[in-house]
Amino acid sequence: MNKQQNIVKYKATVIALLLLCGSFNSAKAQETDYKAYTLFVYNFMKYVEWPEAQSKGDFILAVMGDSPINKELQALANAKKIKGRNIILRKCNTVEDTYGCHLVFVPNSKSAMVKALREQTKDKPVLIVGEREGMAKKGAGLSFVTEEGDELKFDINKKEIEQHQLKISSQLVSLGTLIN
Amino acid sequence: MIKRPFIVIILTVLVSIPWNMVSQTDSTTAKKDTIDFYDMSLEQLLKMRAHGVPNELEKLINSLISVASKKPLNTRESPSIISLITADDIQKSGARDLIDVLRTIPGFDFGVDVEGVVGVGIRGNWAHEGKMLLLIDGLEMNEILFATTQFGNHYPIDLIKRIEVIRGPGSAIYGGFAEYGVINIITKQGEDLNGISTGGIYGQGQNDYLNRNAYFAIGNKVNDFEYSFMGHMGDGQRSDQDYTDFYDSTYNMARNSNLKPNYFSASLKYKGLSYRWIGDFYNTSMKDGYGDVIPGLAIQETYNSTFHELKYVIDVNKKLSITPRFTFKSQTPWSSKAYSGKEAYNRTATRALGNLTASYNLNRYINFVFGAEYYKDKAIDRVDSSYFSNGKQEESYNNYAFFMQGLIKTRFVNFIVGARYDKHNVYGDAFVPRVGLTKKYGAFHFKALYSNSFRAPAIENVNGSSDSLGIKPELTKVAELEIGYKLGRRSILSVNLFDITTTDPIVYKTDSSNADIYVNEGGSGTSGIEAEYKLKLKKVNLGINYAFYTAAGKNKIVDYEVAEDSKALLAFANHRINFSAIWNPTKELSVNLNASIYGSRWAYTSVDSTNTSVLEKLPSTTLLNLFVNWEPVEGLNIGLGCYDILNQKFNFIQPYNGYHPPLPGPSREIIVKLQYNLHFKAKNRKVAK
Repeated sequence: MNKQQNIVKYKATVIALLLLCGSFNSAKAQETDYKAYTLFVYNFMKYVEWPEAQSKGDFILAVMGDSPINKELQALANAKKIKGRNIILRKCNTVEDTYGCHLVFVPNSKSAMVKALREQTKDKPVLIVGEREGMAKKGAGLSFVTEEGDELKFDINKKEIEQHQLKISSQLVSLGTLIN
Repeated sequence: MIKRPFIVIILTVLVSIPWNMVSQTDSTTAKKDTIDFYDMSLEQLLKMRAHGVPNELEKLINSLISVASKKPLNTRESPSIISLITADDIQKSGARDLIDVLRTIPGFDFGVDVEGVVGVGIRGNWAHEGKMLLLIDGLEMNEILFATTQFGNHYPIDLIKRIEVIRGPGSAIYGGFAEYGVINIITKQGEDLNGISTGGIYGQGQNDYLNRNAYFAIGNKVNDFEYSFMGHMGDGQRSDQDYTDFYDSTYNMARNSNLKPNYFSASLKYKGLSYRWIGDFYNTSMKDGYGDVIPGLAIQETYNSTFHELKYVIDVNKKLSITPRFTFKSQTPWSSKAYSGKEAYNRTATRALGNLTASYNLNRYINFVFGAEYYKDKAIDRVDSSYFSNGKQEESYNNYAFFMQGLIKTRFVNFIVGARYDKHNVYGDAFVPRVGLTKKYGAFHFKALYSNSFRAPAIENVNGSSDSLGIKPELTKVAELEIGYKLGRRSILSVNLFDITTTDPIVYKTDSSNADIYVNEGGSGTSGIEAEYKLKLKKVNLGINYAFYTAAGKNKIVDYEVAEDSKALLAFANHRINFSAIWNPTKELSVNLNASIYGSRWAYTSVDSTNTSVLEKLPSTTLLNLFVNWEPVEGLNIGLGCYDILNQKFNFIQPYNGYHPPLPGPSREIIVKLQYNLHFKAKNRKVAK
């Protein structure tokens, strides 16, 4: 067998293996556990204090766009209350839709909306929670972080939270990472 | 020869099976009561994972390892080509020693050196002398006279917690013994043991016993204090077959090829301060010498080493940690009396080493590791008429090194850059930079790595240099590319390409008076591909890997070459397949069928009428093994198995033309293993398993 044939054979093997990988485009990665995210969101609702005027009536929990977390948040809304208040889940497509909400969850795919949300809700008692890492630096009050080893943690932009007239409990602060 | 289409077919069939359909759902949703789940405490929140409860495969590939980066990273993003072996893998396979474990890793193989010693090869390259670093709990096991490690019933296999293997260069972190690879063995310590562990193995070959070892370990962690002590002793044999030299002299290796481990270890740890001692007293017997059968009784050889380490991890603040570390080792390897024209050998070498390493996390995404190291080597000859090349019975050298590494993690790619600079007082300096890009994107991951590495001449390399200019470090450049893809939650396929080029390798020869000499000569290296598929279901685990190398256009060393086939190097098969299937019919019972399939190998097996050694192509070999492990009560493991069911009697081939015929390995062997773990605290039971 000559050198040329060897090279062809070698390349064919590599290509075959690459194709093999490519043929499994339906394969799933380890799926995000939105139940865990929901549990965090629930605790954000419990350990952040809204001004007196916003502490009555239903607690409006908004999600930007479609996200698998909607189903889990709806289950939470059905099962639990916040200090005796019902939790109402609202799906929002535009920044304007979030008017009157207490907490806005921004899924990964809508991360680009964080800046606009921040502008829209400036000085209003709204907690913006970003699913994507780094969103706390871009205007969210809280954003999730997946650490090495897959532990779910969160960053806190305390300055941003306070600008929104909200108070975060020291217990919650001790669990997260302050970025300012 | 194993045909490549055959391999592709096997892989295709395996990954085509709709394993997702037979796998079971891991979902916190299904398992937990909704109300209770929401009422979890804040402290419990800290234990939540972003991707739910991991299954066995996910635990494995998400394991944090630091062998390739100092900074812990998961295996898919660690900047080296990595293999990870767990204590569970070892227990279920029934492995008799490290050879059984390491030969399951893609590209790993073994060959014979001299005096019955078996060493390691990787990716077709003979790595026995100074090219493969063996670490046990961070301590360098390589003896520093020749930089070798001896395999075969040597180290305490049942006390291993995990083995992290770099199947590529590690010099930028570890220096001059890690040119081609690093084997990092992590043994069970106090917290892992959490009590007492004891056990043993008996193995019976066709003609004689082959293994009879026992071990004992005790350890625990009480508040911030952790301690452990362990001992591993026994008597094994390399083979029970006949060895025949080039001149038709023969002897039976039963009772003439003993491998006797006497390994002890003690550790004390209080918070960041730790002290570790290892005593490794490995005794062998042999009659193969440098190839010709030694008449009379077998020659006893000893490889005695003691190691000390004192380390203090100082966490200055959340961002900065500084670790001063002092180690001292004293080694008397290859020690034997005079035989058949060879002089007695009894030299002791010591190395006193100080290392200061700092790790600084600028933020969550950027980490720097940097430090300095200094060591002093001293060698003493204890044979009256023997001297070093300086004409004295004592020789000493020193070396200092500086190293740094930067790791930047972004959403799109992780970027790692590092380098190490070594300066030796005799053979000069070596500078080895490396750069790597890694990232996982959901199911897909990739690694693109380029590294320089070097082999530091060991004491006897310097002493035995025949060149008037002296010996110098050999330098290697390695390029690697890995892609991996998770095929569902319970299986993963990874494929990597590698290209290794070594310039001025240090080559061992014997001169006209049969004395060892070392020269920098020619060039060497290989390129190739490795592929690995793993599937872990609740009751069935499958693993298959394939390794291919070619030396075409790389090798310029006559003593390594195969004249009839430029792609092949002596001793190591171009094609290798490893296969393992584990069936767990119940929680207490596991059945493991595994196989190592070797393509054809080349060996010098005889000499012609002009006393020139003659090459022979040895046919494919399949080592098929079966092991059943039963845990009738918690903590007690009873194992029964058969190694080399097909009785292929694997031969260890010499990877250079050193006039040593292939050394027979063990015949078919029936083994019985027992292990008992008694835990002090029930809550930690699963940790030590």
